[in-house]
Amino acid sequence: MLLAIVAAGTWYYVSHRAPSAAETIPIYYTKLDGKTLAEMRVSMRPRQADESATERLHNVVLYAAVQAIAGPPNDVQAIRFPPGTRVLDASVKGSTATLDLSKDLERQAGGTFGENGEFKALVYTITGIEGIAAVQVLVEGNRLETLPGGNVELDQPLHRSDW
Amino acid sequence: MLAALAIAVPAFADSSLTATYQGHAIGFTQLSSRAGASAIGVNDPGFTALLRDTGAFLTWKPGERFVLITTSVPTVVSFAIGDRRYDLGPIALQASFAPYLVGNEAYLPLREVLRALDLALHEENGVAVLQPQLAALDVRQEASRVTVFAHGGATLHARIVQESPASITYAFDGVGTSLGGTRQVGTGGIGSITIANAGTVREPITLVTVQLQPGTIAEAPQNTDGRDVLLAFDGPGATNPEQTAAQEASPTPEPPPDTTSASAAASATGSGPATVTGVTVEPAADGVSVAIAITGSTTYEWHRLREPDNRFWVDIANAQLQGAPIDQTAPGPLLSVRVRQVDPTTVRVAFSLSGPKPIAFTSSADGLNLAIGTEDVAGEARSGSGGVGGANIAAVGAPLEQSEAGTGSDGDTTWKFGPRSGYVATNPRLIVIDPGHGGSDPGTAHGGASEAQLTLDMAKRLREILIARGWEVQLTRETDVDVYEPNDSAHDELQARDDIANKAGARLFVSIHANAFINSGPYGTTCYISKPDDVAFARAVESHLAADGTKDDGIVKSHLYVTLHARMPAVLIETAFLTNPGDYALLTSSAWRQKVAQEIADGIGQYAQEYPVPNQPAQ
Repeated sequence: MLLAIVAAGTWYYVSHRAPSAAETIPIYYTKLDGKTLAEMRVSMRPRQADESATERLHNVVLYAAVQAIAGPPNDVQAIRFPPGTRVLDASVKGSTATLDLSKDLERQAGGTFGENGEFKALVYTITGIEGIAAVQVLVEGNRLETLPGGNVELDQPLHRSDW
Repeated sequence: MLAALAIAVPAFADSSLTATYQGHAIGFTQLSSRAGASAIGVNDPGFTALLRDTGAFLTWKPGERFVLITTSVPTVVSFAIGDRRYDLGPIALQASFAPYLVGNEAYLPLREVLRALDLALHEENGVAVLQPQLAALDVRQEASRVTVFAHGGATLHARIVQESPASITYAFDGVGTSLGGTRQVGTGGIGSITIANAGTVREPITLVTVQLQPGTIAEAPQNTDGRDVLLAFDGPGATNPEQTAAQEASPTPEPPPDTTSASAAASATGSGPATVTGVTVEPAADGVSVAIAITGSTTYEWHRLREPDNRFWVDIANAQLQGAPIDQTAPGPLLSVRVRQVDPTTVRVAFSLSGPKPIAFTSSADGLNLAIGTEDVAGEARSGSGGVGGANIAAVGAPLEQSEAGTGSDGDTTWKFGPRSGYVATNPRLIVIDPGHGGSDPGTAHGGASEAQLTLDMAKRLREILIARGWEVQLTRETDVDVYEPNDSAHDELQARDDIANKAGARLFVSIHANAFINSGPYGTTCYISKPDDVAFARAVESHLAADGTKDDGIVKSHLYVTLHARMPAVLIETAFLTNPGDYALLTSSAWRQKVAQEIADGIGQYAQEYPVPNQPAQ
């Protein structure tokens, strides 16, 4: 498909520079077939001089999680987290990232289809970060076995291989 | 010129400001300045109100370096304490100053924050106004059709104020812009686009004039989202827009990031599936030789995990595994070998090595041979691909770097509960059917139809068929009730359903559901599985459900509680979408529900024949 952007908002194009591939990270979302993941790349600032490796990993996980929960722009067809879902906290222990999400997550309206697509995309995004192999999801600080009325088991860290 | 009215931001240093936004006043009290520009504290009540009013929110707490704003687009704007760079979606920009801390308060550059929210600060008669902006205009061409996406900081409506064969002008009421000027397009039937400000600071209007080349047709503006408007133009020689829309409505699916099997499968050649007939491991002079016997023609991909995880696997595309899965220990540099059907078209041969050993691949008409050396090596490739049996060797790209670590669906990584469980049904004649939801949890309700009632109906129909075929059947619920107790947790409810099957030693577990989504688009039947034991069972059921009259969405592996904790082969069938009109008509048809019950029963029968229990006649 020939798709060419031939003009765009000058605000964004006056002073920006295109980040190199090394300065972007992939964010995955699940397409509306419920299975296929698509990737969007977002800009990621280089590590700062006073940013330790531990803090860096935390920052990347937090950034990626917020991006994954936000999803792609609204004009992109995608399975999305319930509106208002926020990342309250992100932490890393070993190779497991723990994401504390707001209770909005429980307002699932998309059945198994939506729930499966949401968590698949989130886990693929976070485990795409070097050093992270699993994601533990909390809701308002609590480890749940499943979401209310939900089907995905959440009481253990999730891996890519769960999908 | 509105730009000339922009407020000189240093005036707000260490002060407060009241600005009008969409007809109401917002008071900012935590303004400061840095490098001659205004800064806003993230806990400023006015800032909090502005974020709320624009549908944005902020992620930050003291101690965090990153300050993230999620806009209504949504776009995530990433600021960081001490770094002038900020990131806005896919692009990086430089702010007028780096965000900084004062005590437990983070201060952000005000102008850049407002830009990210698609707002601009102007002044009119001494009153500050937060003016929504026409923030972006993207012109895209596909063949002879040009689309112009307009995005604004407020709800956009494109009002046509002038139209002729040579040009068309749209007015966007309520938004200003700093995108003024003319841009040459010169393609797709569009000559140029001119953007101009009109109106006042308080009641802005942005005019967009599109110069049309002869024969170009402007379609009616479409609101694709509250803040987005799509303008489309069909240039001379354009195809019928309806045809284009129809083509776009069914795009070719993109391969998933874990393309280990998908891309190989797509490139496999040959008229029918290949068959993996066996795997032989033999000691060799300098290590171990592994022969994977394959009949037919297909392609393969292999992947190696990073040290210290010394595992690798070979995915054989478009292939079926003959016989039972294999789990065995191995000599020399190999620790173990596992062979299994990981999805309906892929056979995976997974190896655990004692270290980072070299691996050489050779293919022949009989299959694939691997020579695994004994010496540890460094810097070995982590993926590759090829063909066997005369298949074209596809140029399969290396997998995404980030896909490797967790993608392997081999033994321990995929199946947390281990490979095939060796489950033995104490009552091999018993099938447990679980009608999803019930009682205090009606599941999805749509158009007067309740998921809990529909699933119970299908379960009873299935029971009747199975009993007639000689099976014993137990339903997890007989009426519209909770299985555990009313208003219980989802965990207790699902575990109670698994407990029924587990305690009874059932042969198979079938959970019946109806799917839903937030819009009417998705439709189809999906079989969800979670364990290795589920694969063959789901394959048998899905092969019959594929003809149920809606789209066959195949088998989807997921981390679902009810299938994970059923000890026996289990499948959760989302029969159709209550939220899709076509599927709804099917679900509410008793004839269709009977047909689905029949197909599930046929799948159970097929599985029982393919995997007979010793001394147990197949039904």
